Amino acid sequence: MIRELRFLLRDRAAMLWIALAFILSATAVTLGLAEVRQQQAELAEIDRLDRADRAQVLSEQSDWGGAAYSTFHLTSDPPSDFAFAALGQRDVSPWKHRIRMLALEGQIYETDATNPDFALTGRFDFAFVAALIAPLLLILLLFDLRSGERAAGRLELIEASGAGAKRVWRTRTILRVGGLAVALILPLWIGGAVAGTSVFTLLAAALAVTLYLAFWAWLSRTAGSAAHTGSVNLTILLGLWLLICAVIPAMLTQAIDGAVPLPDGGDIVLTQREAVNDAWDLPKDATMSAFLDRHPEWEAQSGIDRPFEWKWYYAFQQVGDQTVEPLSRAYREGRAERDRLVGFASLVSPATALQRGLERLAETDVRASLAYEARVRDYHARLRAWHYPNLFEDRDFSVKDADGLPAFDSGDAT
Amino acid sequence: MTIAAPAIVVDDLHVSRAGSPVLHGVSFEVPAGSVYALLGGNGAGKSTTLLTLLGFLQPSGGSARVLEHNVAADTAAVRQSVAYLPEAATLYPHLSAYENLDYFLDLAGAGVDQGAVDATLDRVALQAEARGRRMETYSKGMRQKVAIALALLRDTPVLLLDEPTSGLDPVAIDEFNALVRSLSDEGRTVLMVTHDVYGACQVADRIGLLRRGRMVGTFDAPEGARIDTETVHSAFTGRSAA
Repeated sequence: MIRELRFLLRDRAAMLWIALAFILSATAVTLGLAEVRQQQAELAEIDRLDRADRAQVLSEQSDWGGAAYSTFHLTSDPPSDFAFAALGQRDVSPWKHRIRMLALEGQIYETDATNPDFALTGRFDFAFVAALIAPLLLILLLFDLRSGERAAGRLELIEASGAGAKRVWRTRTILRVGGLAVALILPLWIGGAVAGTSVFTLLAAALAVTLYLAFWAWLSRTAGSAAHTGSVNLTILLGLWLLICAVIPAMLTQAIDGAVPLPDGGDIVLTQREAVNDAWDLPKDATMSAFLDRHPEWEAQSGIDRPFEWKWYYAFQQVGDQTVEPLSRAYREGRAERDRLVGFASLVSPATALQRGLERLAETDVRASLAYEARVRDYHARLRAWHYPNLFEDRDFSVKDADGLPAFDSGDAT
Repeated sequence: MTIAAPAIVVDDLHVSRAGSPVLHGVSFEVPAGSVYALLGGNGAGKSTTLLTLLGFLQPSGGSARVLEHNVAADTAAVRQSVAYLPEAATLYPHLSAYENLDYFLDLAGAGVDQGAVDATLDRVALQAEARGRRMETYSKGMRQKVAIALALLRDTPVLLLDEPTSGLDPVAIDEFNALVRSLSDEGRTVLMVTHDVYGACQVADRIGLLRRGRMVGTFDAPEGARIDTETVHSAFTGRSAA
């Protein structure tokens, strides 16, 4: 093993690919850390401005209806301590909303994807390097392992060398796969140390990457043959890479999207706005009746005597949410179903499996995105629950009482 | 005269490569401690015979045994007891002669000290100053000498040499021929394939003439003398039957 290691160290082509893997991994980790730092800084700044704005707005209010209307509340899904490695859904799904007491669903879905281009191309993060580029480098390290020796006239000499010949190919493969794994994982672990990632997460990621590389090593050994020339082996393996990393995932995504259609986020926004706008022209009893279906506890205070009352206004905001509930639920369930099917599909697409695994560890997957939406809904429900007594019992506004407004819990993410 | 037991026995050997028959019932024996030259032109089946003896090719008929081991069934044992010198052997160019020998001997599980390595490189007449240099700076003849040294250092009872004098200058060929004779004197068995009639007659105790996959003649060295070059040459070129 030591001898083969020294041998590998003197193989300039192999060392070039391993060095390139290190540079690409280090670059991806550095870019990921920079992106996460930017998101954290952005959230910290927005949080500061959000608090100042809310204090300012509340100081100018004279009733709870106006206060609820005018105050925004920051909700956010801060990046986890491993998000730098796999930014995943954070590129295509919102991770911050400033919401207020109005109908919620439109507020959630009016925010378009921050970087829609990334939904197509993917970001250059560690998950991208590990899932898509690392197999290419491994192919370059392994495709000519035996055919190259044959071309140089050494294959028979090596294989006729007795007992040790059997372990040559295994040792060379292990060292190349190991070298590539170290080149990929070392920057990840350094990035993890900088970001404060847990040892368990880093070990799990390293295991996932190593297993993935082992799969490609097995494939290279199985598909490549000493009987072929190096160029034939390379062509076969590049074809498999294209199939496994690009064609199969694209076909599966296409098939899954076709099998599980989703309503557009825009449909939800429009439907809700129409429901809210129409409410101005509807008899107030109709709105309050729909509202009381959900909140019978306010029946005694639900009478609307004046042309405009805040409790009626917020009731039709809530009814707007109730109107789009089926659409919103279909959207969420559809996303979850697509994600579930992609999970099954990843059994035949190891590249997808690795990316999903890393995104799961980084809490940047669809599940995490839906969980954030759920936390926003819970928080909005708490806001309503806090404001409704003020509105329905017609309490006097007090800035001091506003200190008791519920705060958003960003969950377990750091 | 004592007749040594054969170290190599090839009996009615048939071998095909890529679906085409190459050897058509070749038979010969190599007595232990002797030098056997398998002589033939291009495409005669010489290298195919060696590759079959090493287990790289499977016979489609007949059998071949090396030191009693069936080459098809007991390849590992055959390879353990045989040193093989491929035609135009290219060792690793980015390593020196010392490093190449160290690497391949380790691969073969042969523990050899530096003194034995230097003695063998002296024996093949590789200049001392070149031994630590990368082999990419070597001439073809120098590379061949290192490959020959490797085969010698394996210290196996049988050596299979494929065109061993390819690339050597006339002086080096004479030195090599003397070396092969000395191996025989040490009791080692040498099977070499070559198209060099003169060289074969210089070193071989027996020559087998192979043509288009068939053994068409054998020539034995008379007691205390070498095989007559003219006779073999005539047979080789087809001007007279052996």
